[in-house]
Amino acid sequence: MRHPDLAAVLSDVRSGLVPAHVYNDPEIFALERDRLFSRAWVFLAHESEIPAPGDYVVRRVLADSFIVARDEGGGVRVMFNMCLHRGMQVCRAEMGNASHFRCPYHAWTYRNDGRLVGLPFHAEAYGGDDGFAREGQALLPAPAADRYNGLIFASLDPDAGPLRDFLGDFAFYLDFYTRQSPAGVELRGPQRWRIRANWKIGAENFAGDSYHTPHTHASVVDIGLFREPRASKRKEGALYTAGPGAGTTYKLPPGGDFETQLRYVGYPDPMIGEMAATWSAGQRALVADSGFMVSAATLFPNLSLVHNWPQIDDAGTVVPFISVRQWQPVSERETEVLSWFAVDAAAPEAFKRDSYKAYLMCFGSSGMFEQDDVENWVSITDMAGGSMARRLKLNSRMGLTGSGRPVRPPLPGFAGPGLAYQGFGEFNQRHWLAQWSDHLEAEAAAR
Amino acid sequence: MTGRPLSYADPAHLAAHQFLVEEAALLDAGDYAGWLGLLSEDIRYLMPVRVTTGRGAGFDVLPDMSHFDEDLYALRKRVQRLATEHAWTEDPPSRTRHFVTNVRTFRHAPSLLRVDSAVLMFRSRGDTRPADLVSAGRTDLLRETVAGLRLARREIRVDEAVLRTQNLAVFL
Repeated sequence: MRHPDLAAVLSDVRSGLVPAHVYNDPEIFALERDRLFSRAWVFLAHESEIPAPGDYVVRRVLADSFIVARDEGGGVRVMFNMCLHRGMQVCRAEMGNASHFRCPYHAWTYRNDGRLVGLPFHAEAYGGDDGFAREGQALLPAPAADRYNGLIFASLDPDAGPLRDFLGDFAFYLDFYTRQSPAGVELRGPQRWRIRANWKIGAENFAGDSYHTPHTHASVVDIGLFREPRASKRKEGALYTAGPGAGTTYKLPPGGDFETQLRYVGYPDPMIGEMAATWSAGQRALVADSGFMVSAATLFPNLSLVHNWPQIDDAGTVVPFISVRQWQPVSERETEVLSWFAVDAAAPEAFKRDSYKAYLMCFGSSGMFEQDDVENWVSITDMAGGSMARRLKLNSRMGLTGSGRPVRPPLPGFAGPGLAYQGFGEFNQRHWLAQWSDHLEAEAAAR
Repeated sequence: MTGRPLSYADPAHLAAHQFLVEEAALLDAGDYAGWLGLLSEDIRYLMPVRVTTGRGAGFDVLPDMSHFDEDLYALRKRVQRLATEHAWTEDPPSRTRHFVTNVRTFRHAPSLLRVDSAVLMFRSRGDTRPADLVSAGRTDLLRETVAGLRLARREIRVDEAVLRTQNLAVFL
């Protein structure tokens, strides 16, 4: 993309007017690959997916395949899944347990910590270490890998810095989804499916689009599955931005204390006790004093979270669930969705069973919320690929007056870090797009 | 007591085969209320996530994650939702065709048939999008009742680890 064109696009985006073609544009996608995914911390897996030595999953950062393995010493390794010799994909299964990975092509063999330990005919073919020194040879490690609450991230930038520094104030909110007790969370899945939609649309939606909920998800209210999304309720929620993340919340009924509010969304008392002991005073205050419960959120660039509390039976039993999901870009017009069910590892088995049911009904490949979201996103992507989309700037200025001031001032007394507004607005999507713009403006990362 | 499949001439096989064909006709006609009428009260409707694993791994579905794991309440909610005016993903509706074949019927227990089948679902949406195909094997338990056969359990073994359809707002 020519520099003046990109500068104009980014200038428009920063003013809250998003040129529609960015949602289906191969030149933009190439920039995202070279300037964004070449640097960003990208989620790969959770430690609960690889609990035992030898357990592994294979995950991608765009086109790059990585083996995420638990080595014999209990450490987590993130290794580029390409044989050092001729470049074959070493591990072609997506999960399993293995002490070693043997390349199908010439049988070069790597331990599950990545070290090269087998090389047929080493003496005859190479004259032993004289021709090819095995010592120190290993599958290429991810340039950077780090963990938070068991969430394993990688960056293609060796200078990415500590993950915790990147997460900043968003860690406060991430804990609600991934640290409800010292046992931490366990992930199941993922369900994987491909949608003909640009990856940014889902990321922006989960970051802050409370405005779509009453209409897009009207059917879910119609059938009594989840009553909160009706507009009168949804507009009382707070939107927050914090560090590289942003999210939506629901306003809880007035006057409830910490225990009452968590019972309202369906948590059993033993879990509430764990949350009270595990969360900080500020985290408890967000629920008890501010009266907000986290719902959808996105950690830039492409990891989203959701927490809702539908009715799971005819008796009206309300049970909450958590989903962790990734919008894995395939191209400017296709995304692989990876959607995990997440639940506190120490939760009672009956809760895990019911929460899983709640998840399946609402989100994931068959979820009744997600079905309608994806229909919208596929349609947007389809429309964004034509010529007319280059003449349309999508107004993403909700929550701002013409002069750029917030329609309503930031929410005072919001117990969480960052900046919060109550009511509908596109503060969070602009926050996400500002980070996106900063990445696209930077020079391509060194290869 | 599953053993060999029943003869294609066996009346139980013929009834099971006809049940699957009639069921497919209801789904393709969008008659979901009619479809619910074919299910038993204790239905379990299951579609595990298929995964790519080594031949020696001993498993190729996730034990604890499915695309569907439904009881009658959950299936009724899905059907109720499709009947609202706000189920955008199926309005305009998909055009689907369920091709059901490779039907094998086994006597599973008294008044209970196990029926294996293959299903290929063609799904077309709108006028510009390529159509989707979902291929799966199914293992059903059909209960013989005074009112006819009822579906008591279905396990759908989908043939892709990564689904190529935008959602499962349709049934298999």
